[in-house]
This record gives sequence, C-alpha cells and structure tokens, in this order.
Amino acid sequence: MKPFTYIVPKSLDEAKEAAAQPNTLVKGAGLDIVDRMKERLQTPQNIVNLLPLKADLAGISVEANGDVRIGALTTLTEIENHEAMRDPVFTALVKAASTTGTPQVRNRGTIAGNILQFTRCWYVRSEAFHCLHGGRGPTCLAMTGQNRYHAVMGWSDCVRVHPSNVAPPLLALDAEYSTVIGKETRRRKFSELFPAEPRAENPEHTLQEGEIVTAIHIKKQAANVRTAYAESREKESFDWATTACSVRIAMDGNKIAAADIVLGAVAPVPMPRPKAAAMLIGKEPSKRLFLRVADMAFQGAAPLAHNAFKLPIGKAVVRDALEQATR
Amino acid sequence: MHPDPSTNDAKSAGLPRATEITVGYKALSPSQKDRLQKIEVNPEEGDAPPWDALTKYKTVGTDVDRIDGMPKATGRAKYAYDMNFPDMQQAMILRGSIARGVLKGLNLDEAKAMPGITAVVALKEVGNKIRFVGDAVAAVSGKTLDLVRDAIEKIRAEYDADVHNVDFLMDEQAPLLDSKGNVDEEWDEDKKVDAALAAAAHTHTGTYRTEVQTHSSLEPHGNVCKWDGNNLEIWASTQATFGVRGELARALGARNIKVESVDVHAEFVGGGFGSKFSAGIEGLACALLAHESKLPVKLMLDRFEEHTTAGNRPSSLMQVRGAVDKDGKITAWDWRSFGGCGYNGRGGSVRYPNYYMSDAATRRKHKDIATDADPARSMRAPGYPQGWFGAEMFLDELAAKAGMDPLAFRLRNDAEAMRLDQWQFAADKFGWDKARNHKNERGARYVTGVGCASARWGQLGRHGGRRQRYGMTCRIHPDGTVETRSGAQDIGTGLKTVIQMLTAEELGVPASRVRAMCGHTADPIGPASGGSTTTASIAPAVRHAAFLAKGKLIDLVAAHLGVPVKDVTCGNDKVGTAKASLSWTDACKLVGPNPLEVHGERYPNYPDKPFHRGVCGAQFAEVRVDTWTGEVKVTRMFGIQDCGLVIAKKLAESQVLGAMIQGVSYAVHEQRIMDQRSGRMLNGDFLRYKISGIKDLPELECHMHSVANGHNNTGAAGLGEPPSTATAAAIGNAVFHAIGAPVRHLPITPEKVLAAIASK
Ligand SMILES: Cc1cc2nc3c(=O)[nH]c(=O)nc-3n(C[C@H](O)[C@H](O)[C@H](O)COP(=O)(O)OP(=O)(O)OC[C@H]3O[C@@H](n4cnc5c(N)ncnc54)[C@H](O)[C@@H]3O)c2cc1C
Repeated sequence: MKPFTYIVPKSLDEAKEAAAQPNTLVKGAGLDIVDRMKERLQTPQNIVNLLPLKADLAGISVEANGDVRIGALTTLTEIENHEAMRDPVFTALVKAASTTGTPQVRNRGTIAGNILQFTRCWYVRSEAFHCLHGGRGPTCLAMTGQNRYHAVMGWSDCVRVHPSNVAPPLLALDAEYSTVIGKETRRRKFSELFPAEPRAENPEHTLQEGEIVTAIHIKKQAANVRTAYAESREKESFDWATTACSVRIAMDGNKIAAADIVLGAVAPVPMPRPKAAAMLIGKEPSKRLFLRVADMAFQGAAPLAHNAFKLPIGKAVVRDALEQATR
Repeated sequence: MHPDPSTNDAKSAGLPRATEITVGYKALSPSQKDRLQKIEVNPEEGDAPPWDALTKYKTVGTDVDRIDGMPKATGRAKYAYDMNFPDMQQAMILRGSIARGVLKGLNLDEAKAMPGITAVVALKEVGNKIRFVGDAVAAVSGKTLDLVRDAIEKIRAEYDADVHNVDFLMDEQAPLLDSKGNVDEEWDEDKKVDAALAAAAHTHTGTYRTEVQTHSSLEPHGNVCKWDGNNLEIWASTQATFGVRGELARALGARNIKVESVDVHAEFVGGGFGSKFSAGIEGLACALLAHESKLPVKLMLDRFEEHTTAGNRPSSLMQVRGAVDKDGKITAWDWRSFGGCGYNGRGGSVRYPNYYMSDAATRRKHKDIATDADPARSMRAPGYPQGWFGAEMFLDELAAKAGMDPLAFRLRNDAEAMRLDQWQFAADKFGWDKARNHKNERGARYVTGVGCASARWGQLGRHGGRRQRYGMTCRIHPDGTVETRSGAQDIGTGLKTVIQMLTAEELGVPASRVRAMCGHTADPIGPASGGSTTTASIAPAVRHAAFLAKGKLIDLVAAHLGVPVKDVTCGNDKVGTAKASLSWTDACKLVGPNPLEVHGERYPNYPDKPFHRGVCGAQFAEVRVDTWTGEVKVTRMFGIQDCGLVIAKKLAESQVLGAMIQGVSYAVHEQRIMDQRSGRMLNGDFLRYKISGIKDLPELECHMHSVANGHNNTGAAGLGEPPSTATAAAIGNAVFHAIGAPVRHLPITPEKVLAAIASK
C-alpha cells in the first residue's frame, strides 16, 4: 500500500469537509477499498473513515408513516437479523444480504459499501493488466479474453458486471438513497445511482467526488407485496453470484397485480427487466408463464466466448425467484 | 518383552534372526473373516523386535490430541513467517511479466539508490530466458514491504517477448478434439488389444479431462535468513530440512559455505502438499539478500506468487477404450493420456488403477506437453487423482453398458483381496444398495446420486541409506520426562504426535510424558516429507531409539533392585518385575543428573514378503444436483483406508478427511484460469481460485483399517496420499448416477452439468 493520511472524523460535517479534498476516498468497513489499495490500483492521498459515525449513520428504523430507513453504515449482518426486516417485503433484501460472502464479511461490510463496491473483473482488478476501464489501456481485455464471469447484456465498451447482492432487491423495491455533499443534502431514486450508459470510463455509480451516502429509504409497501431473491453460484460461501435475480410481486387474489424484476451479476449495472415483468400482470402464476418471463428477462442477451452458461442458469434463477415470491 | 541381545546366538553368527509373527487384520465386520496369517521375518540384529497383529497396544491406535494443537491454535507456534529479528529486512522478488522470451535489459541502479533499500540482487542476467509469467528476475530487501515494492517498481527490466502458449491443448503435439471434447484420432494398431476389443461383449470409449490445481498451502513458501560470518541460519517453510540444507550449501558453495555451516529450522510448517521440497529461488534470493545487506531478511511469497510460481498439479487429457466379456470381466484396456505441463515439459504423467484389469490386454501411452507456464511439482499423489478420475469414471460407464451395478462390477474385477473386504464393509456403512437403487422423481429440480472409487498407494517407508540411516535421539530425563528429537520436519500432518505416541508405547508411559521435537537440522537426519513416506520411514527409528533407551533404563533399575535384567519390563508407568518395581518417575531418578541419551536408527525393511505391499482404500460419495442451475453439492462421503499400523488414530482420520475435503474441492471447484494473451493466471488469489469452503463440504466419515503388514518393527505405511486418489472419481461417478450422463471434465462446474443434462 502507498502511504496515505487517515482521517477519523468526529461528525458528518467533518467527514464532508474531509471528503471534499482532492484525491480522497471515503471508507466504510474497507473490505473492498483496502484490497484495491493493497493492489495499488487506487492510491488516494486521504482516506476518510466513516465508521466513527456509526451512531448516526448505522441502524434500521421504521418511521411514523411506515417507511423504513437503513443507515448507510448498517452491516449486512444487522440487516439479516433486524426485527423490521422480518416483513415479507424484505425477504429478498435479507436473503441477498445473508448470502453475501461469509459471516466475517457480513459482520464488517456495510450496505453502502456493498452497493458501491468495485467490479470484480479480473482484468480491471489487477495492476498487471491495463484495460480500458479507468482509462488505463486501449481496450476491454475481458471482451476478447477470458470472460467467464462477465456481462451478457447491457454493456457498451466494458463487459464488467456489477457484483452487489443487495442492489437488485433495493432497485426492485424502488428504494431511494440520501447523500450529503458540501452544504447539500440529496435524496434520489436508486435507479439514479447507476450510470444509464455504463461505459468503461464511468465509475460503477454516479456519486460525485466527495459525496457521502447517508441512508437508504424504502417506502411502505402495500400489504400484498412479496419479494424474493435467488442467485446461482459456484460456491456456497466466500464467493460472488454468477447470476442473480430479485423480484417484487403484488398479488390480487390469484392474479399478479404488479411486478418488478431486477437481474444482478449479468451487466455492468443491476438490470431492471420491465418488459419481462409486464408479462406477469393480470396472470396467474404458472410454470409456463414463468419460463416465458425468464426467457424475456434474457431477451437480447448476447453471451461472450466463455459465459453462455449465464443464460440458461440466469433464466432458472428468474424462475426460482418468481416461484418463491408467489408461493 | 526385552530380549537381551548379549544372550543371542544369532549375533555372534552375524545372521538375521528369524522370527515368526502374525500379520493381516481382524474382520472388518461380523459378516467377514479374520485375515490373519503367520509369516517368518528376518530383522537385522540390534533392531527392536517386531510388533504384529497380536501386539496389545496401550497408546498406539488411540485418539491422542495433536501435541502441538494448543500452540498452533493460540499462535504460540512460530512458523517461518512468524520469525522476527531486530533490524530484520523485508524482501520481494521482481517477476518477469512475459510468458516467453529473453531478458534484454536489467537496470538495478535506481532501486539500489533508494533510501531504506538494503540489498538488490539480480537473479537473471541479460540474455537469460524468461520462461513463464512469474520467472524470478531480481530481488530486493528493505525496511518495509512498501518500500521494497516501490523499489521493485523502479527496476527497469526489458524483455524480448516471444510467441507463447499456456494452453496445452493448443500445442501442436496435442491431439485433436471433436466438438464434444473427445479425442478425435485413430488408435495405433495393437494385436492383443485389438483382438480383445473385437471379441468383447461390450466396448466403450471415453475422453476425460482435468484442470490445473495449485497446492494452495496455507503458509506460503519463503524463509528468514540470518548470517553469522560464514554460517547461515535459515527458517524455512519446507518439506525437506536436509534437502534445503544441502541445496543452499551447494548454491552458495562459491562463498565458501559448507553443509555444516547451514542450519535449517522448520519447527512448524503450514503445509506443502509436495510443493516445498526445494529451497527454491526464494530461498537462494533470501540468503543472498541477507548476505549482501548483512542483516536478517524475511522473504515470503504472496498468494499470487504461490499460485503462479510454486508449482501445481498439472492438467490432463485421457482417453480410454475398454471392453468386458459377458461375465463383466474386463478384457481390454487401452489408455492414452497427455499431461499439460509447465515450461520444462515434465511431471504430467498420470496413473490408473491397474488392479482392475490384471487379466486384460492392456496398453498405456503417455505424452507430456510443455506450455509457457509454471512447471508442475509433485502434488499429493502426483498423477493419481487425475488418472483415477478418468479410469474410475470409465469403469462406471463401462459397467452401465454391461448392465452391471458399479460396485458389483468392481467386486468382479478388483484383484486386491484386501480391498474386496473394504468395498463390502464400506458399502454397508454407506448404505450403497438403497442409495444406488433410489429413483429420482421425473422432472424433479433436485436429483441425487451415489458413486464410488478405489484408493491406492504403494510404499512402505525408506531407511535413508546403508551408510547414513535416518536417526532419532531419545532422552530420558531425571524428572521423568522423555524427549524425542528428529531433524525431519512435521509439515502439519502430525509427525510429532506420532513420534510421541510411539515413544510412549515402547516405554510403557502415558503420552503426556513425552515431548517430540522436529525440524532442526542439528538433530538426527530424517527424510523429506513426500510420497507418504515420512511416518513409515521414521516410525521404526522412533521405536528403536525408545527401545535402546528403555534397555539402558532397565539396566539401571535391575542393578538398583538387584534383579536380573531379563526379568525387568516397562509398562503401566512402572519399571521392574512382577514382584519389585519402581514408578516411572522414581526409576528416572536413577538416570541423573544428566539425561540418558541414545541414538536410534532406521533399519531397512525386512527382506521378507510383507502381508501387503502399499495400502488401499475405497470411498463412496453422494451428491445432490440442482438441475436448474447445474450446481453440485456433495452431501455425504464415506471412506475406508488402510495405512499399515494406525498409530495416531485421530490424526490418521484427519489425513483421510483432509484428503476427501481437498478432493471435493478438486472435483467441483478448483481450476487455474489463464489469460492466453498475456500468459498470466487470472485467478491467482483465494477469491477467484475457488476452494471449497465449510458450507460446500459434505458430511464426512472415515474408517481407519489397521493392518499388520510385518515389513519392519512397527509396520506403519504411508497415509497422506492414498485417500486423495479416490475422491474426485467417486464424486464424478455420483454425478453420473444423479443426472444419468457423465461429466468427464473436472471441475464439475454448473455449466458442464447443464451441458451433460442437455446432451442426454
Ligand atoms: C470474501 C468476500 C466475499 C464477498 N462476497 C460477496 C457476495 O457474494 N456478494 C456481494 O454483494 N458482495 C460480496 N463481497 C463484497 C462485500 O460485501 C463488500 O466488499 C462489502 O460489503 C463492502 O463494504 P465496506 O463497508 O467494506 O465497503 P468499503 O470497502 O469501505 O467501500 C467500498 C466502496 O464504497 C465507497 N463507500 C463506502 N461507504 C460509502 C458511503 N457511505 N458513501 C459513499 N461511498 C461509500 C468507498 O469509497 C469504496 O469505493 C464479498 C467480499 C469478500 C471479501
């Protein structure tokens, strides 16, 4: 690691100020950022540790109107275990959080850090390779190299995938996030956190330099809302998903009244699949329907040389999530 | 029993003394028979008398906790990585970044001039070849690793890159494969094999593949070196203390270094699996840096270097065609295989279980193919897990064609009598018949299956050589404690505990009285830890040392009690005769003030035929397959394994269970993934190089089959490697059973499972 200045703020204001300096990164638990620094992929001058702000920025609360607020520094383990997360609305989020990494990772890793984590692409994450990502080289090496764990849709010039488990359920729930930067406080839809056109030079997310995520908000959901999360993986722990799917379903009697489908680990950003979701509306759950919806969720997907397996497996995962949510 | 050598006639005659002993084993279950027989053996004069099947053990064969379990669990055990000295320097190696070519320029000046950098040495000269990504070019030591890394970045190495290839199947020597991955080439004529194939009731052909597996020892390779004048003291993570000593003395010979000037420590080693026999370039580099800087230096490899420069189990491609007659007896076995090796083109050879086809017309051909990658090193049963996977899966496919149950098929063809008992015992324990006949529901998402495979390994230990046999020091201290010392290393398998238990057994004291020390070359010479030879090589020397020490103590006690020496025995923590005895601690007071010390040695194995050469075993596996996602979960395994005399039962089981764990990982997860363009490994860490974790593991059970082999005074055989031969094969067969189609390529990843299901 290159030497850096370690800043331990006493308040959010101090943190904001420190984060506004050039060449500065904020850190949650540091699981992701420290790895990148050790590899010398990132050599910031300053690191602002947010963890001392846990009193304000961690924890889960239900507000008077029934909305739920999750502090940015809440650990994945807290999400797994919190009373408020027992609501079936959060089945997907809890499952996504509890299948992340290992108990050690979940005990430390923060929800903001998980959502904002860097891609796992083995070219991007190695200082030995110089690829288009971050402007370090002329081309995307994965596109024509070994791309077993890479994107099958939604990419333009860089085939990395977004690795976060918890991002798809939050998108499916139409969650919002709050940030602070300078004097400003912002609250936006989750869909705005990810670049509309994820190019190699774009970071994984749309935060500005020095912008700090403070909380995640989930609006009170209708009583008939159910969610589910399913993923495929090669190992049961200490690994990332190869494909993932989160769904939100509202039933009206035995018909589906509303639906959202978001795919994970198949594109540079979490991928909402509105066309596939629309096929569910007004229909009764059935195997045939789910198979067709799963096909639609992967419509237009174009696998690379080594990841064609993501299509059949990803479709099975969509079907799995739909079955779980309508069971 | 304490035979008095002075009264033995054979001694004066200088002839071996014939002794009748009982060898074999007791029935594994009530439905089986005892397999005991008397044989005559001829131990050399002076050796401890043989133990046999009738010996009543007090400590041997019981569960004793690992002697160094607590120090390891609490961090008090100091590995090479843990050694720290005042002013110790950190070091790193600059690795070549091309896969093939020549070093064109090397400028170390800027690095040398950096503050905090204490030594820079070139490990290659301009004009030398670079043979793989990771080839060592230069080494740097400095105050901190970060400074060293800064300096490494300042070394200007220039290369003339050549065209490279890291995929052995792309080499022109590799056979062509068809679209399904089968070898697509004619077989050469072979009269016998061709005739057997033509006459067969059923024939079958299959192509099998395995990928590169890295050793992934928890402690990386590396050392701490410290010079004092011309003497080098080195703490190494090694499987061969004496090997490292000789190797470094040779390499540093020009600096007037003799073997005696090199002192190697490896008191604790975090695994090796066959990758740590040599001091390696990291050992030499560390010694050179310490010499140049005149300071202690630590050089440990990082995980990427471990994966890419410290060896591996090479990949393989195997094709078999075989045949059975109408009774299910194998009549033809035609095998051709290819090993995917590193730049030296060696070490890719694969073996198959030849006891199934002892009456068949057989042919075996193998070719190693070089690639521009890190060379193979021996890895836990080199060549076996690959070949067993191919051969045992082929057997199941052949059995299916012949309409036979895979177990019945093995019972029909296995020529090793001992394993026939093991198959039956293990099949009952595992519940084979029921599990094998279980029918998966049609269209079910999750399906289960079971499979089995054999295990084999063949060696019974070495003695070191006629002039310099392996030795062992045994000291009985006046306070009643016993110290046994060997210069050989315990790489984590539990050798110290084995030494402790054997000493305790011979002396008739509880194991807690005995301390065992390993891994310092000042102590007696022992073997490298490889080929499952360590315990088998050392155990007889441990016994001999304890036997000699016991003799000396008995002399003292006999004189003290005024009884004949021949009447005195050690046992139950006492020394004496039936009538008069001393407690062990009182007896030891006669020793003082200095401990009684003896040097035991490893006599050669008896010239007579042992009960069984090598060891055998069998394993059964059950899997659950998610037919939607192709995920394979190994749910249950049972293994039976013989290792001659079972000394430390708990540790023996730990070897078998550990081999099964490593085998599960090999079967479903592990593979080195290379970037063909750069020649660099892409998953050279523990996140992307996938090793099974706790959640991925099945319920594991094993049964240790203790066999009296009668090949030396203890009859211990090796254990590290044998159980690792079977696991991946058993799992492959279970997957075949579950989905009804074979996945012939390790690791059995989801996409291969889905492809196999789709191909039905
Ligand atoms: C072995 C292992 C297995 C894993 N498996 C999975 C898995 O299966 N699925 C999965 O989704 N993840 C997985 N992960 C990733 C892990 O969940 C994340 O690394 C972790 O949650 C990151 O949280 P953190 O607090 O440590 O983030 P940090 O490393 O501290 O930060 C990550 C990034 O987010 C930024 N950041 C953090 N907090 C804020 C904030 N409040 N405001 C603005 N920016 C912020 C940082 O600047 C940095 O760029 C795994 C990790 C490991 C080590």
